[in-house]
Amino acid sequence: MSLENLTQDWSRYRNGIEEGGFHNYEHRWGMAIDLNACIGCNACSTACYAENNLAVVGKERFSKGHYMHWMRIERYWDEDQAKAEFPDQGANFLPMLCQQCGAAPCEPVCPVAATYHTPDGLNAQVYNRCIGSRYCSNNCPYRVRYFNFWSYPESAWPAPLNLQLNPDITVRDKGVMEKCTFCVQRIRVAKDTAKMENRKIKDGEFTTACAQACPTSAIHFGDLMDAESAVTKLWAKHQVKRHDDEGLPVSTQHKQNPALRGYRVLEELNTDPSVMYLERVREELA
Amino acid sequence: MMNLKLKRREFLQLMGWSTAGATLAGCDLPTTVTLEEGKEEVVAYLSPEEYVIPGVGVWYASTCLQCAAGCGIHGRVREGRALKLEGNPDSPVNRGKLCQMGQSGVQTHYNPDRLSKPQLRKDGKLVDISWDEAWKVLDEKVGAAAKTSGARVAWFTGTVSGHQAALIGEHLDALGSRHHFVHEVINNAVGRAVNQDVLGEAMPRLALDQAKLVLSFGADFLGTWVSPTHFATEYAKFRSGTRGVLVVAEPKMSLTGANADLWLAVRPGTEGMLALGIAHALMQSGVSVPDAARPAVAAYAPVKAAEITGISAQRIEQVAALLKQHSPSLVLAGATVEGQEQGYQAASAVMLLNVMLGNVGQTIVSSGEFPFPQLRPRTGNTRDLVAFAAAAKDKALDVAFFYGTNPVYTAPASLGLAEGLQNIPFKVVLTQFPDETAAQADLVLPVASSLEDWGTHVAAYQPEQGVITFQQPLMEGLYPGTPGVGDALLKLLKMREAQKYGAFNDYFSYLQNAVASLPEQYKASGLTNKQLWEQTLQKGLLTVDSAPGSLKTNVGEITLHEVKADAEYPLHLIPSPRLGLWDGRHANIPWLQEAPDQISKVVWDSWAELHPSTAARLGVREGDVVEITSAHGAIKVKVYVFKGVHPDAIAVPLGQGHEGYGRYANGIGANPLKILSPAIEARTGELALYGTRVKATRTGVHEELVKEGRNNISQRSRKLVVTISAEQFRRTEGV
Repeated sequence: MSLENLTQDWSRYRNGIEEGGFHNYEHRWGMAIDLNACIGCNACSTACYAENNLAVVGKERFSKGHYMHWMRIERYWDEDQAKAEFPDQGANFLPMLCQQCGAAPCEPVCPVAATYHTPDGLNAQVYNRCIGSRYCSNNCPYRVRYFNFWSYPESAWPAPLNLQLNPDITVRDKGVMEKCTFCVQRIRVAKDTAKMENRKIKDGEFTTACAQACPTSAIHFGDLMDAESAVTKLWAKHQVKRHDDEGLPVSTQHKQNPALRGYRVLEELNTDPSVMYLERVREELA
Repeated sequence: MMNLKLKRREFLQLMGWSTAGATLAGCDLPTTVTLEEGKEEVVAYLSPEEYVIPGVGVWYASTCLQCAAGCGIHGRVREGRALKLEGNPDSPVNRGKLCQMGQSGVQTHYNPDRLSKPQLRKDGKLVDISWDEAWKVLDEKVGAAAKTSGARVAWFTGTVSGHQAALIGEHLDALGSRHHFVHEVINNAVGRAVNQDVLGEAMPRLALDQAKLVLSFGADFLGTWVSPTHFATEYAKFRSGTRGVLVVAEPKMSLTGANADLWLAVRPGTEGMLALGIAHALMQSGVSVPDAARPAVAAYAPVKAAEITGISAQRIEQVAALLKQHSPSLVLAGATVEGQEQGYQAASAVMLLNVMLGNVGQTIVSSGEFPFPQLRPRTGNTRDLVAFAAAAKDKALDVAFFYGTNPVYTAPASLGLAEGLQNIPFKVVLTQFPDETAAQADLVLPVASSLEDWGTHVAAYQPEQGVITFQQPLMEGLYPGTPGVGDALLKLLKMREAQKYGAFNDYFSYLQNAVASLPEQYKASGLTNKQLWEQTLQKGLLTVDSAPGSLKTNVGEITLHEVKADAEYPLHLIPSPRLGLWDGRHANIPWLQEAPDQISKVVWDSWAELHPSTAARLGVREGDVVEITSAHGAIKVKVYVFKGVHPDAIAVPLGQGHEGYGRYANGIGANPLKILSPAIEARTGELALYGTRVKATRTGVHEELVKEGRNNISQRSRKLVVTISAEQFRRTEGV
């Protein structure tokens, strides 16, 4: 795959969006995250460390923003509580990971096409093509791209901690950008297994590490191209659609019933994320 | 090969299955092949071991030992290495889910600070010795103690259950000692005492999914209380459909409080009065009060309760109205209630609400009795820590074994435990890591990690039928010669009762025999012993009928005293537990150090949570170092200014302040447990962990707190987390 092909593919995709749809997907992996269920416990984040060989950077580097959690829990306090004495309604937790945007702001800025769109609908990062310009991270509105400012293998996995490393994926080295892959290694195994057994991937036969760990099952993962998948049904139930599903222009919002809870974070930026969130719920007890 | 001449009853006791007195059908004595016996066979790698396929992961069922909740796990093993842990979907505790501490089990196992060789104190210093020497020394020292007075030998452990607990019991019996001290800082010992007295069962089943409203007084059931992963799975059900209401009253916001519909910052130590105030409001609206509790309830009209607790009378009446409206409900008392000098009374006041609201039998139901007393969990508490410190001080012990706990770290300095240990001539520590307690040992025995070991476990909280979960090695031990805990116990028992235990080559064969000799009525019919063993290991658990009965509602008198102000020490110290570092045992796990605290988002540090009004009074802002002084010591911690803490409180999380642990733990932050007062809860003898008064003073030092997301605490009107009303939710998604 030459660089030229890649950029052509990308512009074909990008123009496809503008012109009413790109339909050459094999799968479209997507998520639904229910903020009514999320308790902010961090299980997803640690599961991601275990699955994806994420480096621990230590306090000093953490303070400089060099941390590597592909899945993090953002915590906000209610704005209308700013003047109140106590936070009467608890915290706002937001599990934040790469949104695998359909129209990803990170993709067009990469000077070497290290970040590109896969036929699975993922924003893939080609580690050995990445030159570390960090333009993608700069352009990501979700701040979910993490850069290896240092070489971590020695410091993060002193023996025998290195024996835990997942052999299905790499350990990234200095100068490389990395991010959530929707556990692409698990996708790979599922696809290969299905192919060998000459069948389609069954909904629920595998899931991402974060979704698997989540104690409240707040995270749902599946194929948005599979009409029968639980995640497709959730998206439909909450009337959230990918922009090109019906060839609609990117700025059109689909939701007919505003009482439904589905939304995508910063969707007004027309990034067309693959992650749908379901609104947090609180009693009105004031 | 088993070749024993024992009576049936003795045999069952040997295998851990002794029951209250039922006669059991006979069963054949099983034949086993042990791990040891397979050793001589040399197999070329051309025909690889079963299930070892290069590039393919195989999953094995086991049990998580990162806390005492007893979650089932599946471990992914590839090319002989354990790589990833997931929840076991067959486990009724965690139903396929696993918290961050469980996920980190692999980092406990592969931790670079694990001990690989036994150490013996020679000329005041711990030096590496061989395993042969270690066992020899152990035999001599315990043998000598057994001859003079075996009753002066003690075991000091964390929560233990299953066959390991049975063997510890047998070891002490063999020596004629009754000293099994069981210690956990994060426990619900006072609540168990209240449950026992009021309901007739120490740990009934809580049907969170059936509750329409949960009112929690400091019970952090999503984070650190009893069985957090289990309750989180139940919470998801509680919040779906008709969506239950969650009200949390506590002096410092816990993870559960952070998910509340209504969070009430109650003045520390007054939760019992708040419960009585709510009971009073319920009484006024026609709910009947048990006679014994009537004087206490009558004494706390909402206006009076408001004055004491800092929660307005209007709020108290609102909560009472909500409780009436959303029935059945579930009212829980947690550590902040229990950890007071009048914790038992306060927790009784909370339980009174359940009785008044008719929750007993609806959302609180009998869990029955686990049929095998030898295997039941010995649940940890702090009363045993106090008792052990006293016994050490009084020179009442000659030999002490430590396992699964680090009392030199967790004991308040005021108990004088570290000094008392000098009076115990021979201290043996079974541990994976060098820690503060191991540093005081005379003999340190490294043990296998939980991913290398065999075991059976019985959780203190059983969500369904009684379940014995099985632990099996996911891989070969990293350090050859390092015994499993069960193997070490068997070795100790063989030194005392060679005849009884000599037949078991190792703990594996002991457990295999144990499963084979499971009383017939608990076995699935039609299985051979081999099939039963294999099925048990595959599933990771054995279900035994625990015959649920019914609960009593035996409310006694409740007497609460006023919480007096202290002019010299105006603040209440809240040593708050964290889902993550827990009681400090996980401080050497890099993933958990780097995982931000759920509420403050601080990493790699300790901090002191202060309400903005308190911080302003002290003239401090975030990052300023304050000295927190009690009558029993002082610690220095950075300030984190936060509205989710009562102005009379200062909360310092548990887990940091290690001095003799591993590379990731040492030299970080401070340990609030060190400055606790030795005050005890009046009825149960538990340490009043939340009863210490302190003052905070500026030191003039300032250091930035390292937090995830820096100071982004507001969404700044962006649509990041959108909130809708529960009413709307019920309209569109309710059932």
